Amino acid sequence: MAYKPQYYPGNTIIAENRRNHMSNNVQKVREISDEDLTACLGHRAPGSDYPSTHPPLAEMGEPDCPVRQMVTPTPGTAAGDRIRYVQWADSMYNAPAVPYWRSYHAAINYRGVDPGTLSGRQVVEARERDMEAIAKEQMETDMTCPGLAGIRGATVHGHSCRLQEDGVMFDMIDRRRLEGDVIIQDKDQVGVPLDRKVNLGKPMTPEEAAKKTTFYRVGNVAYRDDPEAIEWCQKVWELRTIYGYQPK
Amino acid sequence: MAHYNFDSEANAKKHFITAMETKFGKEWGSNQQADDIQATTTKYLRLGTAQNPRKMEMAKVGAEITKKRGLQAYDPLLHLAGIPLGQRQLTPYTLGGTDIVVDGDDLHYVNNAAMQQEWDDIRRTCVVGMDLAHETLEKRLGKEVTPESINYYLEVLNHAMPGAAIVQEMMVETHPAMVDDCYVKIFTGDDALKDELDPQFVIDIEKMFRPDHAAQIKAGIGKGTFQAVHIPTVVSRTADGGQTSRWMAMQVGMSFISSYHMCAGEAAVADLAFTAKHAGLVEMSEMLPARRARGPNEPGGLSFGHMCDIVQTSRKFRDDPCKIALETCGAAMMLYDQIWLGGYMSGGVGFTQYATSAYTNNTVDDNLYADTEYGWDTYGTGIGDCKEPSIDIIRDMGTWGALYGLELYENYPTALEDHFGGSQRATVISTATGAATAITTGNSNAGLSAWYLSMYLHKEAHGRLGFFGYDLQDQCGATNVFSYQSDEGLLAEMRGPNYPNYAMNVGHQGGYTTVCTGGYTGRGDGFAINPLVKTCFADDLMNFDFVEVRECFGKGALREFDRCAGERAFVIPAK
Repeated sequence: MAYKPQYYPGNTIIAENRRNHMSNNVQKVREISDEDLTACLGHRAPGSDYPSTHPPLAEMGEPDCPVRQMVTPTPGTAAGDRIRYVQWADSMYNAPAVPYWRSYHAAINYRGVDPGTLSGRQVVEARERDMEAIAKEQMETDMTCPGLAGIRGATVHGHSCRLQEDGVMFDMIDRRRLEGDVIIQDKDQVGVPLDRKVNLGKPMTPEEAAKKTTFYRVGNVAYRDDPEAIEWCQKVWELRTIYGYQPK
Repeated sequence: MAHYNFDSEANAKKHFITAMETKFGKEWGSNQQADDIQATTTKYLRLGTAQNPRKMEMAKVGAEITKKRGLQAYDPLLHLAGIPLGQRQLTPYTLGGTDIVVDGDDLHYVNNAAMQQEWDDIRRTCVVGMDLAHETLEKRLGKEVTPESINYYLEVLNHAMPGAAIVQEMMVETHPAMVDDCYVKIFTGDDALKDELDPQFVIDIEKMFRPDHAAQIKAGIGKGTFQAVHIPTVVSRTADGGQTSRWMAMQVGMSFISSYHMCAGEAAVADLAFTAKHAGLVEMSEMLPARRARGPNEPGGLSFGHMCDIVQTSRKFRDDPCKIALETCGAAMMLYDQIWLGGYMSGGVGFTQYATSAYTNNTVDDNLYADTEYGWDTYGTGIGDCKEPSIDIIRDMGTWGALYGLELYENYPTALEDHFGGSQRATVISTATGAATAITTGNSNAGLSAWYLSMYLHKEAHGRLGFFGYDLQDQCGATNVFSYQSDEGLLAEMRGPNYPNYAMNVGHQGGYTTVCTGGYTGRGDGFAINPLVKTCFADDLMNFDFVEVRECFGKGALREFDRCAGERAFVIPAK
């Protein structure tokens, strides 16, 4: 099933970036190996088989059902994978992604996903191998800056904290840090130490981040400087409000 | 220790900056902090709990408990397998509108006796009409009810209400030292009657309220006469809010029997009991639906309007509706978030953080004064001179307030870090935007409408709002603001914590109460919805200070609140 790109109002670079995330118009800028990805996620040992919660669908003798005929299972579903998560914290200091746009990106461009949106973190739950495909795309593309975002299963705070002196988002349990000119990660999502240092790539410069971000802020592109985006939002509010007022 | 009435946005801004500098620019404990409050970077020293004397006190006591009972107790090194809190700087909090600076831990209701007393004083209170009882006495029994008989009845009742015997011989009684916070006063809109009553029993509306408010309240009460009853704190703590009216009714019945020389078992007693328990009773909170398993006078049934009227700041600061709203905000946020949602509903300890952001560091204050001044200046309004609400006004004020609040966080990274969760920020901005709109229009539902617009704009601007629940409540809320179909909408003052889709979300219920406060204070009214509740709490004998709520919280945090009730020290071994 093919999805058409989704659109968002606004005449600024922020709005444009938001449209790009929704349309999956993101650029691959770094390489993360499958083993490194698996290590960082921390759900299974790198190289091990996917644990399953049920046999492959093909072996389960599923009932004859029109819905099942219409919907092709995702690879993880067909294999019977567990449902696992990838959860991101994105800094409010011009990280490329913001939680809602991570959710829109996942929900619009992938099937079988359950995105959850909070202020300081955004989680996508899916069958394990399906989730890994999404996580890999998130980690390898310009929707993520490794210095301004990180995967965090617990103890996620950092999105609203001031940056460290080296420009990296604060992490209480220090899962990743700047070493030389790259960010390395040596703990998994929940802070369990890894047997390796995963190179997450170079962080964006402040100038790059300012151009890539989907976050409106003073000092870069203030929300008030995108009147079309504001007017659209006001219109949604007004229509919902008036709809609710029906003195019948 | 001092409290302030900011009066203007400029003054509020000054105190917001002072609070931020106190929090992030000065050393607290040994956190070695001296940051520029507008810098976007900082040095994280990762000093752990050792930087904070209160944390160290807690660790010491935890170790002592572990040793004494031979069972593990508090140990900060158990946090994250050895990584204790304090990887950021542990910073203090300035109580809004005061110069009181405290540790965050001391603003948890468990650690704060004043916060507990606020809820105690609400839960143990009810209002009972006297007129029906007097009719029973006069018409059914032929008794004469006079000011003198009422005075004698109140003397008897103030002996009996704490749990003393009045017509029974050899009855066990409560010890006065355990129940010294219990009493009954009376109030009426009938000046002639009031003048003949013993002043010790009277809440004198003329003395407690400004003349215009007093006239308004008396008109609301009419010639009726009501008792303001506060049962002992220790009783309602041991049982629940439903105990308040039961305890009261029993003692009221006995006191009528004694003071009017009735037969203890005659059928007319049932009429008096029915009056006290039902017909003449006004509880602070309605009983909740059975699925909530809570009786009356529990916080989930406390309407926003009643909460507005319980807070008494309007008696002393009529000309500053922002001050009234902010004190109400503190009282309501603490109760609804920390105690109701955090305690009764969820059990989580983190709810304190949501509440704290609403009454510390003058952030809501700055937003509210700025938003209100914008409304007054733009629409030429003032107290008692409101502008009829319209979609255009709400759109304008809702947008202005949202952008102001968002940019405050963008311009002050320390404020953003202080309110580290989007839920806190969303509540702060929407509370101020909504309350200012209500102040300008005199209409709480208009304020609610601005609240929801603010939430929409916040979500779009920052690409995030609160946790999951904010998506539900704050995205669908706009449609029920002006709906008056009974299962969809309601006057804001009559909504409460158990209103459909308000029931599960921290940070909102106190905010809605603040918006309601904006409505009545914007109009310059003396009460929000119930003159009986407003008058009942217009009483300096109450243990908690319902005028200067945040200062009272500060006293609690400093361990200087000395009007605690329900203590058991009198009947336990001295330490």
